Amino acid sequence: MNEIEPRIVTIVTELLERSDREETTVSLAATLHGDDGLALDSLETAELSAILEDEFGNDPFGAGLLPETVADIVAFYADATAASA
Amino acid sequence: MTTPRTVIVTGGSRGLGEGIVQHFLDAGDRVATCARSETDAVRAWQADPAYADRFLFRKADLADREQSTQFGKDVIAEWKSVDVLVNNAGVARDGILALFSDDDSDTVIDLNLKATIHLTKQVVRNMLAHGGGRIVNISSITGLTGYRGLSVYGATKAALDGFTRGLARELGSRKITVNSVASGYLKTEMSHGLDDAQLNQIVRRTPAGRLGEPDDIARAIAFLVDERNDWITGQVLVVDGGLTA
Repeated sequence: MNEIEPRIVTIVTELLERSDREETTVSLAATLHGDDGLALDSLETAELSAILEDEFGNDPFGAGLLPETVADIVAFYADATAASA
Repeated sequence: MTTPRTVIVTGGSRGLGEGIVQHFLDAGDRVATCARSETDAVRAWQADPAYADRFLFRKADLADREQSTQFGKDVIAEWKSVDVLVNNAGVARDGILALFSDDDSDTVIDLNLKATIHLTKQVVRNMLAHGGGRIVNISSITGLTGYRGLSVYGATKAALDGFTRGLARELGSRKITVNSVASGYLKTEMSHGLDDAQLNQIVRRTPAGRLGEPDDIARAIAFLVDERNDWITGQVLVVDGGLTA
């Protein structure tokens, strides 16, 4: 969990930087969508999905899940790691 | 020379696809292609030391999603990112619709349209992750003007042009351009159901006075995928010797 968490936060932060939203702080509790969270639109969500797959070989969106927060993404990989241990 | 781009050309073992692959290899790019069977052209590229580490071939039927997905994975595993995708793979079945078999319709739609959409999705995800790219869909003037006996084929090509426009709008903000090249009648298409009389008629009606060569199309593709041409997207470039002018 501790290794995955900063990687996910970095990926999301860099994604927001691409969209000129570097001032947005990414926390585990941050919601991915909606104005009270990171406000990712559909294309940014697709980018996040693609970047996660590129980095880890799979991603929660591609697995049919709909993570709502950064923590949900972290949990997806933590669960996968635990399952393969 | 600049860093070679990674280029995927589907259906690059013969005909137009072979010409497109050769054009990119000559330009110094890395080229991956696939086809259902290996041809002399593929064997020659594989054996040529000039293309060592710059040419990848996989025997694959793109209409089979598993094989298509594996082809995309192999290219990405080999070269990490894809810079250019040329959706060339296609099949033509001729015959008037009233006598056309449903199996032939499925074959044409499955490869020309569904397989193209499937592989494009995979490559687009890679391009999104890596910050840009160029996509060219090889369509046909039969999708613009129609041609007797090629209604299903023409329908898939018209659909590809619609796919081009929609995808261009989706991806324009991410440095990914999407265009179509609507090819006219090429010498390589003699096997696509057009007989000599039909081809002679086409030549007579073509202002340029000849059928097209694969390199006529390859040069248009090279123009569209030039990294400087990032302000051309969502367009259908007709390359047909003026036939539809």
